[in-house]
Amino acid sequence: MMEQVVLMKNKNNKKKFAYEPKFTERKDYRPEGVKETGLVFVGHEISEDRTVMNQFLHYDQLYTIRHGWNSKFFIGLLEGKIMGTRCPKCGDTWVPVRTHCWNLNCKLERTEWVEMPLTAKVHTWTVAGWSGRSSLKRLPIVLVYAIIGDSKVAIANELHGINPWDVEFGMPLKVVFKPKEQRVGAVTDFHFEPADGWKPSPMTEEKERIKKLVEPVYEWVKTLK
Amino acid sequence: MTRKVCVVGGATTPFDYGPTGFETIEGGAAECVKETQRDIPDFSLRDLDLMIYSHFSVHFGHQLAPEWIIHDHLGLVGLPHYRVENGGNTGGSALYAAALAVMSGHHDVVGIIGWETMDSVSQSQGSEFIAMASDTRYELMVGGIYPIYYAAMANKWMKDNKVTEEDVATIAVKNKNNAMDNPKAQWYRNEHRYITVDDVLNSKLISYPIKKYDCCLMSRGVAFVLVCCEEYAKKVNPDGYVTIDGMGLSSCTIRAGDRLNNPTWAERYGPGYPEMTEFGACRCSAEQAYKMAGIENPLKEIDFGEIHDAFSTSEAQIYKALGLANTDNIAQFIRDEQTHLHGSIPMNPGGGLIGYGHPVGATGLMSTIECFYQLSGLIPKKHLSRKTEVPDAMCGIVNSHAGTGTSISNFILRRH
Ligand SMILES: [Zn+2]
Repeated sequence: MMEQVVLMKNKNNKKKFAYEPKFTERKDYRPEGVKETGLVFVGHEISEDRTVMNQFLHYDQLYTIRHGWNSKFFIGLLEGKIMGTRCPKCGDTWVPVRTHCWNLNCKLERTEWVEMPLTAKVHTWTVAGWSGRSSLKRLPIVLVYAIIGDSKVAIANELHGINPWDVEFGMPLKVVFKPKEQRVGAVTDFHFEPADGWKPSPMTEEKERIKKLVEPVYEWVKTLK
Repeated sequence: MTRKVCVVGGATTPFDYGPTGFETIEGGAAECVKETQRDIPDFSLRDLDLMIYSHFSVHFGHQLAPEWIIHDHLGLVGLPHYRVENGGNTGGSALYAAALAVMSGHHDVVGIIGWETMDSVSQSQGSEFIAMASDTRYELMVGGIYPIYYAAMANKWMKDNKVTEEDVATIAVKNKNNAMDNPKAQWYRNEHRYITVDDVLNSKLISYPIKKYDCCLMSRGVAFVLVCCEEYAKKVNPDGYVTIDGMGLSSCTIRAGDRLNNPTWAERYGPGYPEMTEFGACRCSAEQAYKMAGIENPLKEIDFGEIHDAFSTSEAQIYKALGLANTDNIAQFIRDEQTHLHGSIPMNPGGGLIGYGHPVGATGLMSTIECFYQLSGLIPKKHLSRKTEVPDAMCGIVNSHAGTGTSISNFILRRH
């Protein structure tokens, strides 16, 4: 099935390989007052002996990620759905999605979309006490690789609603979406929480160890501006 | 193999986060070449017939095609050049490209220069830049930086293999302490102290089970390696050259979570491998390198290695992927200190990424250089003591590693 791969002519009579999508929905999530500055030298410093100079170059660029055939997954998130793909030949199913089958015997067969159940299980996990600049205030983060429904692969996302030391391999999860008005069509629109009725097992030596490691993280995050 | 490939020299600048004394990339490159010329005075830049540049990210360098700056500065106008980029395996991939160029017979003398200036941004911003090599659409925003991805993989791997936090801490201790007599190493230039397992266990949580001292260092640094045909090696360094007898390069999925049931791996190694805990690309590329070098029992036939210890946990995982141990004996293999200097296969005597530093584009070349120094008897000259010299080393392995194991190369180097 070939979608949208047609030879078109635009108004200058030049050949194009696809229709220009007509974007009828647009939303800006940038915090108020934040705009692109592009490349700017914003300062410098010179050592006392004047042998070393540092220049501060700031760059803030806006990127456009065009999702194309993957779009249904991200649009699905806006609608509170986890969309997966399935190969009609071999039946393998994926979240994160693949638009062509990975099984070499299927010769890059185009996959079909399937709506996945909002249930998952932990494949593996970690508790983060440090992260990238934009995530520091969310620490400590419980990150899991979880298998949604009958997906062949695991997807990474945060696990909320649990003490960091209580996570277990194989524990049942539910997919929880942000309120509709806060969704942006990115993987951060959802997170995992323990499935209803799941109870943590009693404390163990390992749990105590993680608790001891995590406690200073809570204190440190409070000091972040 | 059509033609023997040799390594005859190489050097790095000091590695550091902050001033190294060689702040510009072209200045650092020139000093690395000059140190190599002091080791092998018969080497002239006129002899080069190809330059390969090894550099990971323009995010750190704020300059597209920065290799043009270095090439021009070295006075190499007219010489063919290109850049190789392959994540953390950039250095290994550049070496692979240089070896292919010589092997083919088309080039005789190939220089490789690698660098990264990761201190151009804060450490937390740097972590985010590197995380842009993970899938930005599915992973970058979910708190995802590489230590977190690695920790999730390692957590399950350690349980599956009965390896403990203490076990992997011994690896971090080994590498930092190995760097104590290596004046170019970042650990030597900064904290410079011998540490213990308790120091690692008590260091700050990065992502369970990984702590601060289990992690490699974010660095500024430049490296140069000279690769050539045997005829040239005999001419400029007849007593010290080393041959690349085996090499392998392999790939795995970009997202670790996609490894669980991958049909290609299942076909090659059986269902359930590499799960998301084993480094399939390391196993596969090691097998290629061993086959080419005629190695049947790596533990017996390889004397030491310089391997990609981005984390103490990943060094442990690499031991297994290199076939040095299996699920039944990997924990004991680590506890027996088989990879310490007194063990049967010392790993990272130069300090590795945990001790020496990890300026990504320079890292695989740093590992190659340390391996070359061991095999050519240069350790006493390059380190401050003989403590980290592997006695009578004849055969070493160099390992370079990218993503969450997304691209991995292995090389077998031998004293000729
Ligand atoms: Zn299929």
